[in-house]
Amino acid sequence: MNLSARLFGGLSASQRLFLRRYGPIFAVYGFIIVLFIIGATQSERFLTVRNLTNVARQSAFLGIVALGQMLVILTAGIDLSIGSLVKLSILVSAIVMNGETNNQGAAIVATLGLGLLVGLIHGFLVNEVKIAPFIVTLASLGLLRGISLSISTSPVGSASRPFIMFYVQKIGPIPVIALIFALLLVLTALLLRYTAFGKYLYAIGGNIEVAHLSGVPVKLTRYGVYAICSISASITGLLWLSRMGVGDPAIGDGVELQAITAVIIGGTSLFGGRGTVIGTLGGVLLLGITANLLVMLGVNQFVQGLIQGIIIVAAVALYKQEGD
Amino acid sequence: MSEYILEMRNISKSFAGVQALKDVSIRCKPGQVYGLVGENGAGKSTLMKILAGAYKADAGEIIYKGQRREGASAGDVIDSGISIIYQELALVPRMSVAENIFLGREPQRAFGILDLKSLHERAAKLTARLGISMDTSLPVSELTVAQRQLVEIAKALSQNADLIVMDEPSAILAGSELDQLFRIISSLIAQGVTIIYISHRLDEVFRIADEVTVLKDGELVETRPIDELDRQTLVKLMVGRPLDEIFPQTDHEQGELVLVAENVSTDTILEGASLELYKGEILGIAGMVGSGRTELARALFGADPLTSGTVSLVGEEGALWTTPAKAIESGLVLVPEDRKSHGLFTSLSVRVNITLPILSRLTRFGIMQSQAERAIVEAARDRLSIVMASSDQEAQYLSGGNQQKVVLAKWLETDPAVVILDEPTRGVDVGAKFEIYRLMRQLNDRGIAIVMISSELPEVIGMSDRILVMNNGRIVGEVAREEATEAGIIELATMAGAGAN
Repeated sequence: MNLSARLFGGLSASQRLFLRRYGPIFAVYGFIIVLFIIGATQSERFLTVRNLTNVARQSAFLGIVALGQMLVILTAGIDLSIGSLVKLSILVSAIVMNGETNNQGAAIVATLGLGLLVGLIHGFLVNEVKIAPFIVTLASLGLLRGISLSISTSPVGSASRPFIMFYVQKIGPIPVIALIFALLLVLTALLLRYTAFGKYLYAIGGNIEVAHLSGVPVKLTRYGVYAICSISASITGLLWLSRMGVGDPAIGDGVELQAITAVIIGGTSLFGGRGTVIGTLGGVLLLGITANLLVMLGVNQFVQGLIQGIIIVAAVALYKQEGD
Repeated sequence: MSEYILEMRNISKSFAGVQALKDVSIRCKPGQVYGLVGENGAGKSTLMKILAGAYKADAGEIIYKGQRREGASAGDVIDSGISIIYQELALVPRMSVAENIFLGREPQRAFGILDLKSLHERAAKLTARLGISMDTSLPVSELTVAQRQLVEIAKALSQNADLIVMDEPSAILAGSELDQLFRIISSLIAQGVTIIYISHRLDEVFRIADEVTVLKDGELVETRPIDELDRQTLVKLMVGRPLDEIFPQTDHEQGELVLVAENVSTDTILEGASLELYKGEILGIAGMVGSGRTELARALFGADPLTSGTVSLVGEEGALWTTPAKAIESGLVLVPEDRKSHGLFTSLSVRVNITLPILSRLTRFGIMQSQAERAIVEAARDRLSIVMASSDQEAQYLSGGNQQKVVLAKWLETDPAVVILDEPTRGVDVGAKFEIYRLMRQLNDRGIAIVMISSELPEVIGMSDRILVMNNGRIVGEVAREEATEAGIIELATMAGAGAN
């Protein structure tokens, strides 16, 4: 009998199951609320529209790639290349756009096309050459980074005027970028809950052999999921262009690890088959708010890494209590 | 259309030069049960995987419903009405009963969007057809093993299967669960479904099969109607030699007391278990799956902390253990049920597997004494007649019986006083079973006491000197070998409320 089973002893079987499964996610949100209270009481600037808008935008950047990453991890895969792909995407989009409004469409198509291509190559190597996802995407982490830096080590290209304005646009008090994230979040949740593709992700992560023998289109599903993940990185590259205005090759480093961290804090199992969108959102917000709060409180930024480490261990320890 | 629903003709298949199947043919009529038997490695599973479309035969043809089948994928095979229920249950634990049943064939609306309402309705209809009540929205991980088996059958039914292959469906079932399985099988046959039933338990084959096919070393030995066979003949066909005595007997006096457990409970179903174990005997533990047998073994071994009671070895005053490491040091070892996940490092060599627990004895100043190591491994191989290419061979490439022997060898090197065997012959073929039984007797002769947990009643009755029956976490009775009958043990093991007070 584990800890949570003991705590929830008086409930019905399905209530216990619900709590066991989602309890830790409540804990993550509980912690977010605690951070809010700390922020509100300890810092004058934290609970301002300006700052919260900022947090929402930054969370959107991490959140979009975290969603893609989560889908891959659900299949017991992983994508280490997204940081490098964000970097290459911002360069490609900036160069193609080159400051011209007329080139916007071409830049968007080229960047998303790049993501699609990279994702399909990942899918091919995982499916057909049967190389472990970790290795495949570790290779493209280096490869895409290399390509990016051989294109330029200093900022190149530029965004068009309207494209830069996009970053600061709001609908009501909410930045459009955060709305895009919210939309993708809802779409992902619907995908997982209401489509066969979504169920296949869980099935493949749960037991790939069973999935295969049940007639699940394993290969097709994996092509799809790696493509989605890479496209999420390309979208993020485009958003970065909107924010920076130029193709800055310094963008993107370490994004993959941030995304994986958010996904894990959100309760997704690295072994696949387990994970929720709401959890991943919790992970993203927790990381975003922690980072923001530490800046607000004037804490040395290197302490951030330390605190993140503690959060990961604490979160995973909580999920372990589920015990299945 | 011919009278046969399925004909597999002259099927051959080899893997990396090893001939797994050679010129095997079987054919099945609708509404019949076909037993498929043979030792491990005889080619039963390979044959069924070819039928499932998971492997492609090197030669031969499959004629199904009067049509020659060409290069079908796993999905095509399911669509054509063939369902295979694998030995390792093929369910995704996290997904709900309904989702598992319809995995790969979910009722969908346009754009791949699921029709969840119809999914659950249809799942409920299927479970009702099987005569079981089950919440189809529960994840499979919350079900008992027996319930999971039923979900598998529901899955097969949902595929409108005309032919269902059951690969060792009963390996994990006992008593009433087995009856339920057989009831379901009879109702399926009545509906015209054909069943291919693979099992190591010959009693079951005799109970339900109309015809039996025996495979050995990848070749067809014989197909015969069940009426023309008896148990002896069938065993002989499978093993290729007669087994006059399946259970080797010894006559020995009751030895001295070695282990006493008093009123042992752990934080599991196990409650208030007491037992005494004597030198050189086999104490059988019978009971249904989930009755607390494995929990009792874990408690004795110190794998689960005791919440009450004591376990001690006689003569070792105060030698109480709270961890497996200390239990092993005190002379008590556990050979767990699930070899692959608890007993064996499948990707490591046989040598490493055998010597792992005694490495401290084999090292000097931290350096391995490889000569001594090799000697020990060779002695173990000879004593247990382990069949292996070399001691550097990875354990995963050994047959099930030989893997089990490696696990035994590993623990024997620690020179134990008590050996606990949890399902020692599960998934092991008849020939290897016999060797394991013989080995157990050899251990007895060396004075080692054995606690044997088993779901196979003939084995429990045949091997044990005394039998403890568990029910609902408690020991509900002790039966002496002379008085033991399958019916008597089942009655004790299934008595309602027996464990409750």
